[in-house]
Parts: sequence; structure tokens; C-alpha cells
Amino acid sequence: MSAETLRYPFPWTPPMEPPEALRDLRKEPVVEVTLPSGDKALLVTRYKDVRKLFADKRLSRNIARPDAARISADNELFMDPNIDPDPPEHTRVRGLVTKAFTARRIERLRPWVQKITDELLDEMERQQERPVDLNETFAFPLPIRVICQLLGVPPEDQDQFRKSVDGFLSVTRMPPEEVAKCRQDLWKYLGDLIASKTENPGDDLVSELIKVRDEDNNKLSEHELHFWVQGLLIAGYVTTASQIGTGTAVLLHNRDLVEEIQQDWSLVPSAVEELLRTQIMGSSVGTLRYAIDDIPLEGYTIPKGSSVLLSEESANMDETVFEDPFTLDIRRKENHHMTFGAGLHYCVGAALARMELQVATESLLRRFPDIRLAAKAEELPRSLGGFMEGFTEVPVEW
Amino acid sequence: MRVTVTQGTCAVASLCVYRVPQVFDQDEDGHVVVLEERPPPELHADVRRAARGCPTQTIRVHEDEF
Repeated sequence: MSAETLRYPFPWTPPMEPPEALRDLRKEPVVEVTLPSGDKALLVTRYKDVRKLFADKRLSRNIARPDAARISADNELFMDPNIDPDPPEHTRVRGLVTKAFTARRIERLRPWVQKITDELLDEMERQQERPVDLNETFAFPLPIRVICQLLGVPPEDQDQFRKSVDGFLSVTRMPPEEVAKCRQDLWKYLGDLIASKTENPGDDLVSELIKVRDEDNNKLSEHELHFWVQGLLIAGYVTTASQIGTGTAVLLHNRDLVEEIQQDWSLVPSAVEELLRTQIMGSSVGTLRYAIDDIPLEGYTIPKGSSVLLSEESANMDETVFEDPFTLDIRRKENHHMTFGAGLHYCVGAALARMELQVATESLLRRFPDIRLAAKAEELPRSLGGFMEGFTEVPVEW
Repeated sequence: MRVTVTQGTCAVASLCVYRVPQVFDQDEDGHVVVLEERPPPELHADVRRAARGCPTQTIRVHEDEF
């Protein structure tokens, strides 16, 4: 392990590329880092180890333990003491939602996502003022409409819902009492939503999960239902939103790549994967685990009781797996990146996110062929300190 | 080449279904189903890639079996 302790998440310099800190990180399999809370954690750096440890049952996802590292002093995300996030409990509940995210179900949604996308782009086109903030007009509204519709959140509630989630996810940006208020607001809102869907079920995922709760008491408790609905809403919204905005900013910064795509639209899926691989919008704080046993790794031992981060961004830059990892190659063929994790916690919504990103990217570049950034890359503000560290504004013009 | 899967470990990533729909499908719950246990040679490269990319290593490729 290196002598000095690195701060994690890594600083975003230069702003359009993976953090400089990732370049030499994999010399050691495990590096000690300091989290925003000041607590220490062990960061696993190499692709094959990250991938292997995602599937290792000695790493518990339950971080609501007195001696586990905290991401930040007041974070409560991923740490509900009433939820068991490990198998077999977790696997059982996860199985209830995965069926809503199969390839067939996702592809059935594609035309509908296209329609929402086109409507948002119509609105954007009508705007007279320039520049336009891509996040505000497009990147954030799209996924929030999609996930709210999927889960059954009424359109008129979406603004309020978004405010609560944004606050809830703030790790160090907002005073703790405001974060707590947002957390309570969101929890209460979801309780009301579940109550109203129990009265009047609709054709949505929340109503389906309510049915599971009511049919068999052991299958899904009230609290689990509440917790999972919250998790799906947050995960389905903010990650995709941040990736659309930040990924597009990176693309627009590389004008030649935009033109390459515009000459061959079949490049969209691999371009989307490549932007996901460089994980330009966030860190891996969500992979925080707790070692319930000693874990030998490459001549090193992760001691029992340590907190462990599985660095997706470092795995994605592993030069033994990805050729020229720091080059943005939108034609990359073998791109099994770790951005959605691996193993039994693999992102439930990955296929949905991919589909949204593909539709968003292609539609935007078709509608506004000469769209460009209206600010210097180094001046784009990032939302540092949150779970998502993407650009908070992406001013564009055309 | 022969392809088999361990349904119990499938995490419903759907990657294989998108990569090689001729060979992989999903059941009602989303778990992987093999449509072509012995895929034709022109699909072998894609099947290998799907196996390498499976996040739970649920797909097994038996190169020597026919």
C-alpha cells in the first residue's frame, strides 16, 4: 500500500477525462483512501479483483454497522438497519423486480421513451434564449419522466419528488438538517403514493409490488416495499440523468466523435458504452462493502472488519483489460466495463439505462446536428460531494 | 461448441439477449434461457463475447463439445 492516503472520490482534473489519480493506481491491488467523512476504506483497484469481489459473499453490503466506514458523516443511503442487503434475503426481493427489466419489457418501452424524448426536444427547439442548459431541458426531465411513469408517480408530483431526491443525495453540499428534511419528505411522499396505489392500483411497478406484498406476507414487507420503491426511483433517475448530461458534454467536447456518429448512427450503442466505461459522472462510493472475514488478495490480505470500495472507475481503466484505456474509443468492441457492477448486485436497471442513453444520444444529435458546448470545458461546474459528481450545468447552443 | 447456463446465478442483466438474440432468451422472470445449445459457427465469436461479458459468469461455453 502507498504511504500517503488518497482522498476519495478523486478530484476531476482534467474535467472532461477520467481523474488523473486513476493512471498509476493499479500498481497496488489495494489502496487506502479517505472518504468525505474522514473514515478510511480500502479501495480495490484491478479489474479482475473488482469483478471477483463483487461476487464474494465475504464482502457484505450491510454497512449499517458501528465500525463500518461512513461515506459522509450524515449519509444514510444504503444503510437501513431494517433491510438485509445480502443474500439470500436480498436475492429473494430482487427477484420480484428484475422481471420488470427484461430485454423484452425494455424494448417494449423504447417507442414510448422515443416519444418523450421527441417532446422534450420539441420544447428545447422552441426556446428562444441561448445558451440552453441541457441538464434542465433534457438530461434530467427524460429519466425522471420515464421512471416515474414506470413506477406510477403522477406527472404533477415529479417536481416535488425531484427536489427531495436531489437533497437526499447531497453528501456534503447541503446542511445536514436540510438533507434530513429531504429524506423525510421523500419517505413520506412514497408512503402516500403506496397508500394511494393500494386504493387505486394502476398499470405500474408500484402497484405490482403492492400485489406481492398483499398476496403473501412473507414475500415483501411493508418496509421492504417502501425501501425498494425509493431505491428504484432514485437509481432510475439521477444516474441516467447525470450520464446523459455529462456524457453529452464529453461528446460535444470531442467534435470529431460527434461527426463520426452522425455519419454512422450504428455507432450509438458502442459510443454509449464507452461513455459509460469512462464513468465520467460519478465515483464508486455506492460499492462500499464490509469484510466479514479476512480476504486474501494478490499477496495482500483485506482484514476482517475493514471497509472496502470496489473501484469501478479504476477497473474500467485497467490497461491489462482495455487497450489504451484513457482514449475515448467509440468503436471499442470488447467493452465489459464495471460501471453497472457485477455479480448478484448488478444494476437492475442497466438495460433501461442503456436504452434511454441510446435514444437520448441519437435523438439529440439528429435534432441539433451542429449542437455545441457554450462554455469552456474547464468552467463547467461539477456537483462535488454528492453521489453523482457530473456537471450541474451543461450550457449548449446550436 | 456447446452453450449451457446456470439459471440460478443469472442477475437479469440482459446483455447476452441483446448481443446474441439467436442463442439467448429470457423466461418470464428474466432468467436466461438457451435457444440454440449448439450455435452455428458464424455466431461463435459473439457467444464467446457474451460469455466473457456476463456479469455473473452464468454462461458456459464448452469449446470441445459438439
